[in-house]
Amino acid sequence: MTEGTIALLSFVLTLMVFSYVLGDLPLVGHLYRTAVYIFVGMSAAFATIVAYESVILPYLQDIQNPETSWTALGNSADVAIFATALLFGLLLLLKPIASLSWLTNSALAVVIVVSAATAVVGGLSGTLIPLVVATAAVPDGLATDFGALTNTLLVFVGVVTALFYFQWQARRDDDGAPVQSPVSRGIRNFGKIFIVTALGAIYATTMLTALTILAERIGFVFQFGS
Amino acid sequence: MSRAQRIGIAFSAFIAFAVGLITLLSLLLGGRPELYAELAGAPVFASLMTLPAAVMLRLVAITSAVTIVIGISNLLYVHLGRVVRGAFFSIVMIASFALTIWWYWSKQGDTSLLAAVQVPIESALAALLFLSMVGGGARVLGKRADIWGLLFVTVLVVVLLGSLPIESLAPVRAWSDWLMEIPVSAGARAILLGIALGTVVTGVRVLLGQDRSYRG
Repeated sequence: MTEGTIALLSFVLTLMVFSYVLGDLPLVGHLYRTAVYIFVGMSAAFATIVAYESVILPYLQDIQNPETSWTALGNSADVAIFATALLFGLLLLLKPIASLSWLTNSALAVVIVVSAATAVVGGLSGTLIPLVVATAAVPDGLATDFGALTNTLLVFVGVVTALFYFQWQARRDDDGAPVQSPVSRGIRNFGKIFIVTALGAIYATTMLTALTILAERIGFVFQFGS
Repeated sequence: MSRAQRIGIAFSAFIAFAVGLITLLSLLLGGRPELYAELAGAPVFASLMTLPAAVMLRLVAITSAVTIVIGISNLLYVHLGRVVRGAFFSIVMIASFALTIWWYWSKQGDTSLLAAVQVPIESALAALLFLSMVGGGARVLGKRADIWGLLFVTVLVVVLLGSLPIESLAPVRAWSDWLMEIPVSAGARAILLGIALGTVVTGVRVLLGQDRSYRG
């Protein structure tokens, strides 16, 4: 495909997507939806290509070569793993048959628990422990730098109170209605300041990213048009 | 529920527990010879401990790829049913899918279609996000006219103004930098910690069989 064709297609498709701004007019509304359906079809095609070429095909080629092995168990184990994975895929197709759905569920169970085990280890070693260590760490020279001491304390208190915000504790009054103690409400509100500030900043940075892309697209449309 | 179905559910739960436990132990204890320093063949043993997780992760990777293909086949099947009834957008979707596959295989992996179609549509949709976000920000003040809505919009405006390369806005930029360094950092850490805690707790519930979403 030549550079000119790519630019022309980009121009037309960008205008089709931007037609969304004009609202649900009889013909214009169809342009946006057409672009979205083209996008869905192409994404599905590329997902299929990636799943086949990056995962299934390399494994398929590897098991055909007796010299290679993924694990220390040898090539025959690779063949068994690949065949089991294909069997799991086929078992998923049995889901509509109620009497055999336990087979599908067993295959799904393996996929879900392995993902859960990976998520537990990843969550612990990749997020929880490093973040707790980073938050509790005391930087050097804090005793002489009052500003740094205040900031470090503020981050620590912010993280603790913001985490407390997610925990809703209350006791019941005489009528059985939940009542929060003033101290608990105060800590939660202090933590909420940090949560809302973080969400506002994340929203602003996402807007900036979208604005940069919008400026680039509008620039491209005008440049192509001229 | 019949007896056979109850046995089937118990079988699924047993498989889940056994596989989950073995994978978890392998991920936690594998590849760390320092844990078995007292054993004679510590490196070999540590390497052996990684085997169950390696096997399971490969199994799940291939199964996931196969499930993606099955899912997309189902999407095509549903839209093919609509094509028969003459649904225009389903025809567009199927044609787009078929053209991409044909293009990729006939042009030996040429990805220019990606640059010509996929990237512009994705960019234009991301650009439209800006308009939606401006509308969303304005609605926050309209529907949540309280201290939290005001704080949200104030932070939003300070960060946006702080990103502008204008000399006279230097004090706002200093404020924005401080916000990003201290309160935003604290809030984002708390949100990430909350997500990680939720992930770990949900994962442990699944591994213990408390949360059996795979029962369908």
